[in-house]
Amino acid sequence: MKPAGSILLLTTLTGFAYGLLAWIGVYACLGLLSAATRLAIVGVVLGLALASIGLAASVMHLGRKERAWRAFSQWRSSWLSREGVGAVLTYPVAILFAVALRMDGDGILAAMLGAMLAFASLATVFCTAMIYASLKPIRQWHNSHTAPDYLICAVFSGALLFALLRTALSGTPGPTAVIATMAAAVALLAKQAYWRHIDAQTPLAALAAAIGLPQGTPVQPLDAPHFTENYVLREMGFAIGRRHSAKLRRIAMSVGFAAPTGLGLLASLSIAPLAATAVALVCAGAGLLTERWLFFAEATHVSALYYGRRI
Amino acid sequence: MTMLPKATAGARKLGLVIDLDTCVGCHACAVSCKEWNSGGQAGPLPDYDKQGPQPDGVWFNRVHSYEVAEEGCSRTVNLPRSCLHCEDALCVTVCPTGASYKRAEDGIVLIDPEICIGCKLCSWACPYGAREFDEEAGVMRKCTLCVDRIYDTDLPEAEREPACVAACPTRARHFGDLADPQSKVSRLVAARGGKNLLEELGYRPTNKYLPSRTAVIPTQPRQTSDDAGGGVGSALLKLLDRALSR
Repeated sequence: MKPAGSILLLTTLTGFAYGLLAWIGVYACLGLLSAATRLAIVGVVLGLALASIGLAASVMHLGRKERAWRAFSQWRSSWLSREGVGAVLTYPVAILFAVALRMDGDGILAAMLGAMLAFASLATVFCTAMIYASLKPIRQWHNSHTAPDYLICAVFSGALLFALLRTALSGTPGPTAVIATMAAAVALLAKQAYWRHIDAQTPLAALAAAIGLPQGTPVQPLDAPHFTENYVLREMGFAIGRRHSAKLRRIAMSVGFAAPTGLGLLASLSIAPLAATAVALVCAGAGLLTERWLFFAEATHVSALYYGRRI
Repeated sequence: MTMLPKATAGARKLGLVIDLDTCVGCHACAVSCKEWNSGGQAGPLPDYDKQGPQPDGVWFNRVHSYEVAEEGCSRTVNLPRSCLHCEDALCVTVCPTGASYKRAEDGIVLIDPEICIGCKLCSWACPYGAREFDEEAGVMRKCTLCVDRIYDTDLPEAEREPACVAACPTRARHFGDLADPQSKVSRLVAARGGKNLLEELGYRPTNKYLPSRTAVIPTQPRQTSDDAGGGVGSALLKLLDRALSR
């Protein structure tokens, strides 16, 4: 599948944004924000800003950008529509939460709205993941790893951003660095499990089945319908860079997950916490973009079978 | 409205039955489809770099040729590939806008180009690669089963069939109601063991493909001059054969 820059930006940025909002919501819910109202409000503003940039990037992906508003209507069947509804609903919840926090500190109202904010944020990430997980022709997406992995990456990247904010605003990361370190380690393991899973998969179908012949019939393409690449091949038959996947996986693994784990550990031990969390955040951003690029580039689509491509 | 229509009694399932035994891979269906849909209600279908080195464009129908290895000589199977108007059409349910829909009355899957936002998700959901993106209009396009022909009462009744069916020189394409077991297409499917493409993916396509048959026509060994029969002519031929064989 062709990795589109707009979608890579959307899924990575909303991961950071909704992960951060979820952590702030959880903290408020547990009454851990009493002395850190400013942190929470800065976090909400930053989270909504990042989510907005991501959502704006996703609109750039559309062929008819001026019709983007129509995407909210089919939430009963479409995960893409649900993602849009979730993203829009998160705004008022986050704003009401920030107002409640400002008005009466971490009272019951802020706690309730915090829980709602965490739920709305993670639900939106879940909807994003399900867009991919529901696509039956793509074995690397249509599996039980996709949805948990998106949630884990969001929780990890949000925890890291929260740790940096907390360190920047109050000097010490407190428990946020430990949480971010653990989340990074979990994300690392989840991603490795995902790659092991897709490497062990077999193609969804053989060419014989694609053209209605009995299973096992030896068949190969003879003449293609056209000489140049068409939309289907450009979009679904994308194979550029798949040969670099092993190297890119190592880069994503070391930069995106291992480095933040190590740096998070430094911050947990109060060794240069601000620098450690800041560098960890930059690493995670670059690593997660690489990981997201691979999520698309390594994905194969059944329709490419008709052109004799490996799926 | 992107929920799939509920199955109702009496609803038709219009579709194509394509005979892979008689299809000669001439691309007439694809060309005729392109021609009709460039000018018809669904048109225009864009072409990019038309006269240049990288010609490209939107086609609703693509004809592939495959080589099926068999004992002795291989066999060519031509496969025209277009929208199969699936009953479990994932391209419909993933659409966030309701632009992609399946009609309750005849099962035709269509795109409303006035509503489509061009997110391309439906093309990802289709395992058959039947949807192509219109880079000029910014919307997705697909086979309409010539909905602007088959219901056009201005056309003589015999012409109310998709352009690809009308164009096929070997009559390998058949159009009809696959919900009616007595229809010509349903009887063909039953008689010839019509197949679904990518059955295991579970999209339940309406269009069916009739498998190509292995034709073996037994032939007699050719006659030689020795058993060419009597008469002066054959005697002379025998003499000539013997003289030349010396």
